Amino acid sequence: MLVIDGVSKRFDKHLAVDNLSVSIPKGQFVGVIGRSGAGKSTLLRMINRLADPSAGEIRWDGRVVSRLQGAALRDWHRRCAMIFQQFNLVGRLDVLTNVLMGRLAHTTSARAMLKMWKLEDRSIAMAALDQLDIAPLAPRRADHLSGGQQQRVAICRALVQEPEIILADEPVASLDPRNAKVVMDALQRINRHFGLTVLVNLHSLDLARGYCDRVLGMAAGRLVFDGAPAALTTDVTHELYGMEAHEVMDHAEMPNVAGAVVATA
Amino acid sequence: MSALRETLLAQKPGMAARYPDVFRPNLRARLNVVLVLGGAVALYVYALVTLDFDPHRILGGVLRLTDIAEMMLPPTPDGWARAELYGVALGQTLAIALLGTSLAAILAVPLGFLAARNIVANRVLHFLTRRALDSVRSIDTLIWALIWINVVGLGPFAGALAIMSSDIAAFAKLMSEAIETADRKPVEGVQASGGSRLERIRFGIVPQILPIFASQILYFFESNTRSATIIGIVGAGGIGLYLSEEIRVLEWQRAAFLIVMVLVTVAIIDQVSQRLRAAMMGAPRG
Repeated sequence: MLVIDGVSKRFDKHLAVDNLSVSIPKGQFVGVIGRSGAGKSTLLRMINRLADPSAGEIRWDGRVVSRLQGAALRDWHRRCAMIFQQFNLVGRLDVLTNVLMGRLAHTTSARAMLKMWKLEDRSIAMAALDQLDIAPLAPRRADHLSGGQQQRVAICRALVQEPEIILADEPVASLDPRNAKVVMDALQRINRHFGLTVLVNLHSLDLARGYCDRVLGMAAGRLVFDGAPAALTTDVTHELYGMEAHEVMDHAEMPNVAGAVVATA
Repeated sequence: MSALRETLLAQKPGMAARYPDVFRPNLRARLNVVLVLGGAVALYVYALVTLDFDPHRILGGVLRLTDIAEMMLPPTPDGWARAELYGVALGQTLAIALLGTSLAAILAVPLGFLAARNIVANRVLHFLTRRALDSVRSIDTLIWALIWINVVGLGPFAGALAIMSSDIAAFAKLMSEAIETADRKPVEGVQASGGSRLERIRFGIVPQILPIFASQILYFFESNTRSATIIGIVGAGGIGLYLSEEIRVLEWQRAAFLIVMVLVTVAIIDQVSQRLRAAMMGAPRG
């Protein structure tokens, strides 16, 4: 169980996350929605400890992870994998080496520095690539791949960490709809098959409805919605997105609007 | 064992057979690394031996160095009249560095664009520019100083020309590289909006390379203040002339004073240019 207990994050005068508390049971697929700047990314980065909370506590299985240091912190990074909007791969390295980055916590530094990966690590990396249907890309340079392929490589890197929870920060925001579906399906499969907790920041309400067991809505750093995707009514959406609400709503109403414009033109 | 680990390890036996390239140890690559490293070490040892490298001589020299350092204390110009003379010479050195650097920077702008592959499509022109720049660059500032002294006579004018000649090529090369690595997307944006070739360069490329180029000019000015001191020694004017003179007549205290003057000046330039660079790289207005 992931427990976020009264967590705040302050950047100078700006309060990015404001006294947020929520508990997430193991194995849940949770979507975090809200407009840009609502504090979604900051929340995820604090859970992974790429950023430190200004106040409050984050616990995993009863253990406080928000104050870990050194080797214990690196172990937490290993158990709490992160997937980024811009993939954050090392573009100049091949796909296999990028995936093997996820094995660093399982490898001695001497071996890692000399790139003398163990046979087991290599086969784990290849198996992960195989799971996501991109094993033949292993020798290719990461920056020569398409966005969708790169994000799948990033998921492989997360998988081989053998994590307990996967955080994904807008993983499909830079992808076309077809690749977005491939990536979201992969995250769902990981959640269902391996029972990993998945916490994913999303921009699209449709994706949140389609994939998540539970949706958290954030606005101005505070939690303003916590419930099943079905409970996301028009009112809630308006509270979350304000003026932008129409942009993230279901597209069902759109043809009428478009039709009206065409008719007057 | 977790379900994830089980799945990832399940195919381990067949993996090596399915993707032999991934699992075959890359002996050739490793051998190459060993060979290159071994070759480098051998070359070092050979160079040290042939160049008469001798630890005893370093030790003896260090002792002599402390003697000289002692003779340098305390640094003094021996009177106001000479201090004034030194001050004027230092000003000359700074003028040489500033003139030489700025002339080189201005002249390098067109050359930099000519040498950039993404600006000049003409292969021959590109090749000729590059080779010409290489030849100019292979001649050191000191040699240029000797050449210009013979052309325009002794003095700071020759010094400024020497610095300009040796830096044009370096500037042009750095600039052409900055242009080549510039992001193409803004250029396409300007092009798609109907920008001409010149406008694409002006609005798509120049804003990207300007801070890089400006910061390089500042760095070169700094380093040229030191170079201007050196070329003064061969007669191209400035403080170097006095420095070599005082060392020749073994006036170590005066030499030390001159060195301190150069040191302080370079430190000040370093501070100022650091601020300027930070200001240029910093947040855009508005």
